[in-house]
Amino acid sequence: MRNLFLILILFTSATLSQNFSIEGKVTDFNGIPLPGVNVYIEGGERGAATDERGSYEIKNIHAGVYDLIFSIVGYKSKILNITVDANLKLDIQLETAPVQSDQVVITAGKYEQKLSELPVSAELIPAEKLSEKNLVNLKEALRYIPGVNMVEDQISIRGSSGYSRGAGTRVLVAIDGIPFYTGDTGEIIWEAVPVNQIQRIEVIKGSASSLYGSTAIGGVINIITREIPDEPVTYIRTLFGIWAKPSYQEWDWSGEYRNYYGLTLSHSHRFDNLGIAFSLTRLNDMNYKQSGFFNRYIGFLKGDYKFSGTSSLTLFANSMNHHAGNFLYWKNSRNALIPPDADQGQTTRANRLMAGLLYRDLISDNLFINIRSSYYRTNWKDETTSRNSSTTKLYRTELQANLSISENIISVTGIEGTYSDVSSNIFGNPDSKGIGIYTQADIKFDFPLSTTFGLRYDYSKLDSIKSFSDFSPKLGLNYHLSGNLILRSSAGAGFRAPSLAEAFTSTTASGITVKPNPNLKPEKSLSAEFGINYQPNEYINLDAAVFNNEYYDFIEPSIDSRDGLVFFNNVTRARIQGAEINTKINFLSDRLHLSLNYTYLWSRDIENNIALKYRPRHIFYSSISYSFYNFEAGADFRFWSKVEEIDDDLANFIPDAEKRVDVYVLDLRGGYNFNSFGLQLRVFVNADNILNYNYIELVGNISPIRNYSLSLELVF
Amino acid sequence: MIRNRLLKFFIISILFFSGCDKGISPEPEGAQAGFSGTIFFTGAWPDSIARTHLVVFKDPLDSVSDFNPFNLRFVSLEIPYGSTIFNYRSLDSSSFSSIAAGNYAYIAVAQSKTPDLSLNRVDWLVAGVYYSDNDTTKPGILIIPENTLITGINILVDFNNPPPQPPGGN
Repeated sequence: MRNLFLILILFTSATLSQNFSIEGKVTDFNGIPLPGVNVYIEGGERGAATDERGSYEIKNIHAGVYDLIFSIVGYKSKILNITVDANLKLDIQLETAPVQSDQVVITAGKYEQKLSELPVSAELIPAEKLSEKNLVNLKEALRYIPGVNMVEDQISIRGSSGYSRGAGTRVLVAIDGIPFYTGDTGEIIWEAVPVNQIQRIEVIKGSASSLYGSTAIGGVINIITREIPDEPVTYIRTLFGIWAKPSYQEWDWSGEYRNYYGLTLSHSHRFDNLGIAFSLTRLNDMNYKQSGFFNRYIGFLKGDYKFSGTSSLTLFANSMNHHAGNFLYWKNSRNALIPPDADQGQTTRANRLMAGLLYRDLISDNLFINIRSSYYRTNWKDETTSRNSSTTKLYRTELQANLSISENIISVTGIEGTYSDVSSNIFGNPDSKGIGIYTQADIKFDFPLSTTFGLRYDYSKLDSIKSFSDFSPKLGLNYHLSGNLILRSSAGAGFRAPSLAEAFTSTTASGITVKPNPNLKPEKSLSAEFGINYQPNEYINLDAAVFNNEYYDFIEPSIDSRDGLVFFNNVTRARIQGAEINTKINFLSDRLHLSLNYTYLWSRDIENNIALKYRPRHIFYSSISYSFYNFEAGADFRFWSKVEEIDDDLANFIPDAEKRVDVYVLDLRGGYNFNSFGLQLRVFVNADNILNYNYIELVGNISPIRNYSLSLELVF
Repeated sequence: MIRNRLLKFFIISILFFSGCDKGISPEPEGAQAGFSGTIFFTGAWPDSIARTHLVVFKDPLDSVSDFNPFNLRFVSLEIPYGSTIFNYRSLDSSSFSSIAAGNYAYIAVAQSKTPDLSLNRVDWLVAGVYYSDNDTTKPGILIIPENTLITGINILVDFNNPPPQPPGGN
């Protein structure tokens, strides 16, 4: 009897200590594999994402009972209560649900959280959106996010930024959590982002300085790249587009149809614990503007090694070689698509390389360690009269620890350091260093209230400028008033150190002379938001938010009245207030999706009682899409009101600078999936700016005119 | 049925938006203000000259701070080294900007020894100045009415007899 008892104990303990796996395939209602679906066990770090074929596998799961969650933007999440006592195979079908709010994001708290539990406003863009709109540049996708507007390359979330020609950013853009701003200008090089490697994009609106530090004063955009699937996958995408003739004969400077094209080839392969993925993209655009052309190569390499089911090391490298025309502004409105005579033939060359190293380790069920290191080298050279050039190396390391103190308390603590070294004839040879320490605690109560407390300390030193430091606290609340009514609120302080470019630029280009300002100080903000989300049923989701952001020592380009030169200065006490209303509706058994988004911005320079530059007061986006079996079609409409203020002094340089209008842009798209023919082939056709409406985001720059594109995506 | 309604909706929407204006449009032809003339060069060109431009300043150059990019309203394309006569028209000879209608206090031929287009006063010397009404005692005023091309803005550059230099030069 005693022996039998011992055998039973040994058997039981052996069973409990044994690890199992779960694998399967996730498809949509039509049987089409869904790549990029998050499959994870609730409450733990174990999870996986489906590959191009919709397959997933989660290894090293202890025996037990779990909730297994399947989640992806645009589909209803599915939760399965499973008993793991053997290897499982689970094939799942997900139903479309664009209004669904229980998606998982990792950006808001630096760990996986449900969208419905966040104290801040957030948006997700699935990679699918990039494909169906034939996009090759991430910034084009951001133009459709509620509350976001772009002024050329400069992103603004809820009016956070105007335009400063790439010098500094108030929105932190990251790839897999690693910041992607350059070490010299502090700008985002959108064209370097490998679009075909994106799994999804997460957007956090409002200041996130308490967790992300300096440049997150206006929000965060985190680009999540694809996981390397277990099965080999080869992906080919071709794109061909053509620019329509300009609206006016005077603007038809070339007399021909200009075109653009692209080719992407990627492959991924996994050898047991080692996964490798690479892609190479070639893009060429003759452009509708003279000197607007570009030739670009983008390379991406990703490798991961899984030491065990709980720890892994990921290496990625992203590079871009870029040769482009240098169109700063038009000659005049009669020659709106050609630059001034002296600027013709001027070009820019750039080489950029970013390498990142990510180490993840689930030390125990309660403790998760994440180490992120990166090296970002940028080299660019203006082949213009200014002959500006710059080479910058930016080093960065972050150590993050997530601790589950109890079932209802999770803390995230981290430390990060940066060092940037610049060698240039435009900024001099300055260096900068910074360190940030942060901690955040998310506490859930039994009644459906979640609270967030965060605090970050930043120290920054820009070469010869006096060092500065500051604390950025944050408080967040999320309250589920009922099953379908959620209230959220957050308040906090933000901080942004000037970029090296803002402090040290010294150049003359196209008649504009910029001088350095060694007395530049960091800008600070106080922000608050209140939001409400109501989902009366699975077909409708309503979200509304009001926000108030106060900025102190706002850094803007300005004119020194003593010598008339441009420099960056702490000129403005600013206030940006506004409201946002977003509606998502689906009809016809999920076949027809409609979204309507409106943002009202009241952005003021309080000292001068005028609107802040380059901020529209009204922004409206809407999108409608219809899918029927393998066919889909859609339309996207954007409106934003004419900006009230620009740099008045630009009128001295740019003819017809007063020509600004309300913006109306309508894009049409259609696609077909050849899955029914046994081919993993998709074809998308787009007609962007179908009305050929002429507008500007930046003075003297006509935004893209009507163009048509065709893309083919093949997976095998 | 629903698909037909959707199709109608799209068509009506496109027609509606097509009826809207086209946004930004070009200024009417001939509406642009400008000026034109001839520059005459006498004497030998100095060897050290790297650039020569016709420049227009809005306000007089009374102090070094007046030589700034916001006062500078026009820079012509580069005048070829060794020229003896140079005809120009501001509408098609602008280096970085067209010129707007208005009054301009200082029009000159400026030369630089630096190969780059510098806007530092010390890099430039004035080789010739526009005078109006045969009054060479003070720089002539250029008056450009709206929608008008002013002609006859001629300048004599005499390398043997340079004009008075504005403040701030070497």
